[in-house]
Amino acid sequence: MSALSAEAQARGVEVDGRRAPGMLKLMRIELRKMVDTRSGFWLPIAAGALSLLVAVLTLTLRHGHFGTYSHVFANSTQPLVFLLPIMGVLLVCSEWSQQTTLITFVLTPRRWRVIAAKALACVVVSVAALVFCLIVTFVLTPIISHVPGGAGSLSLAMVGQGWVALCTRMLIGFAFGTAILASSPAVVVYLLLPTVWAALLAAIPGLDPLAHWISTDQTLEPLLQHTLSATEWAHFATTVGLWVLVPLVIGIWRIHDSDL
Amino acid sequence: MIEINGLTKTYGTRTVVKDVSFRCEPGTVTGFLGPNGAGKSTTLKMLCGLVRPDAGEAQVLGSPFAALPNPGLKVGVLLDAAAQHAGRRGAEALMISAQTLGVPGERVGEMLTLVGLDGAAGRRRIGQYSLGMRQRLGIAMALLGKPEVLVLDEPANGLDPEGMRWMRELFRDFAGDGGTVLLSSHLLNEVEAVADRLVVIASGEIVAIGSPGELRGETVAGSAVKLADGADQAELLRQELTRAAIAFRNADDGGLLVEAPAAEVGRAALRAGVALSSLGPVSVGASLEQVFLELTGSQPGTGSNDAAAAPPESSTDKERNQ
Repeated sequence: MSALSAEAQARGVEVDGRRAPGMLKLMRIELRKMVDTRSGFWLPIAAGALSLLVAVLTLTLRHGHFGTYSHVFANSTQPLVFLLPIMGVLLVCSEWSQQTTLITFVLTPRRWRVIAAKALACVVVSVAALVFCLIVTFVLTPIISHVPGGAGSLSLAMVGQGWVALCTRMLIGFAFGTAILASSPAVVVYLLLPTVWAALLAAIPGLDPLAHWISTDQTLEPLLQHTLSATEWAHFATTVGLWVLVPLVIGIWRIHDSDL
Repeated sequence: MIEINGLTKTYGTRTVVKDVSFRCEPGTVTGFLGPNGAGKSTTLKMLCGLVRPDAGEAQVLGSPFAALPNPGLKVGVLLDAAAQHAGRRGAEALMISAQTLGVPGERVGEMLTLVGLDGAAGRRRIGQYSLGMRQRLGIAMALLGKPEVLVLDEPANGLDPEGMRWMRELFRDFAGDGGTVLLSSHLLNEVEAVADRLVVIASGEIVAIGSPGELRGETVAGSAVKLADGADQAELLRQELTRAAIAFRNADDGGLLVEAPAAEVGRAALRAGVALSSLGPVSVGASLEQVFLELTGSQPGTGSNDAAAAPPESSTDKERNQ
């Protein structure tokens, strides 16, 4: 075991043990963990493939009548709007289901740093998803589109709102994951809650106006349809507060306090 | 250096760890021994900041584990070899830890070679690993940051005899270089060959601390006797021992296990006029095994401990009445 003896001599001189890994480094590690497993590798590929497929369908069905830049862009984000939240759920919950928390939180005992790094990773993934949708839109549309009168244009505001939609959806999934800490229940709750919520609001008279403020169906969908008004941004902010911040606070409290 | 002071943990009404205190010095291997469910894992998790103690505190290298800025560079930890993402490749799992620690990527290859998982084994997904391979991977991960302290929960679980020997050498070398090793086990024979000190825990409480020799000293040493000639000779010795009020019982190999020092047994044999072919202290492992079983209140036969020769006192009364 001369290797070990040599190690003992070199112990502690090579790496600075007095400094915790920086937030950007932790975020890069979280991004890597997101895609270096079997499921983590295929989920984004499937999401990208679906996005591509939807863009092609948008450009070819109905004689290409919907083949405008704004349509293709909005539609290409849809599969990602659906799948990014699931990636967000898995980003947190797989640590619990696979028990890798025993490694992650030993190497980074200040658990909030791991949570923050994962949240940042969600933001980065949403940017990557946006870039992917833009590439799909701006590569395919000029080639395939034959809308009478041209394919129109895509405003910067709509691109920005597209990113906000992707990022918010992913963060909602992430927040649900941190609050629930189990993949399947978190995914089910994420998918069912808006529906149950909407049904509940519809069933109770007088609560209907509330839906404009907190029903994700009503507050997040417009992001991909038209430029939001100030009121709509207020609706959006309320939704984020309810579906991102509240579960996130619950989740951080749970994770910070939990015995592993 | 590890210092554990009065650690206590209660889940609901069940106290799983009660006022546990002990120290591990640099240059030593400490075996943390106790039956399954005795509170070993909970204690080690409290040490590593994963479980919050209700009382007491634990320090590694002079500070609480969670206060170490980059703990993996000071303390190598393996809490559960099975706790790895099944869909991740072995080398990749190490790479993630290496990046978190900030050690160069070449360390991954070095450690894989050290634990015998280099080549194709490192490229396989951990879901396909045997428990023994996962233990090796966990040990590689613990050693990545060139730590001064190792904390390992049941590291020998799932290792074959060759792997156990390899691991013993690894820990002895690590301690020989001035490192501190704390490893838990529910099997005495896994740790007694490697540990300088044993900390025995049962039902959440420390029941004994000491070197294997010290712990053995807590029981009356006995002697194993074999006779040169046949059964009638054995009967003569039995009669003489009974007359001298020395407790004994029959051993499985046809000899006797006597609760007395060898010299006393020799004198009894002389008085009885029988020839002995062998006379010596009761085998060390068996005796320590019995200490362990008595301390922890567990029954022989649980786990894989095979107490071949229990010391004489256990069945003395029965023999005397015969």
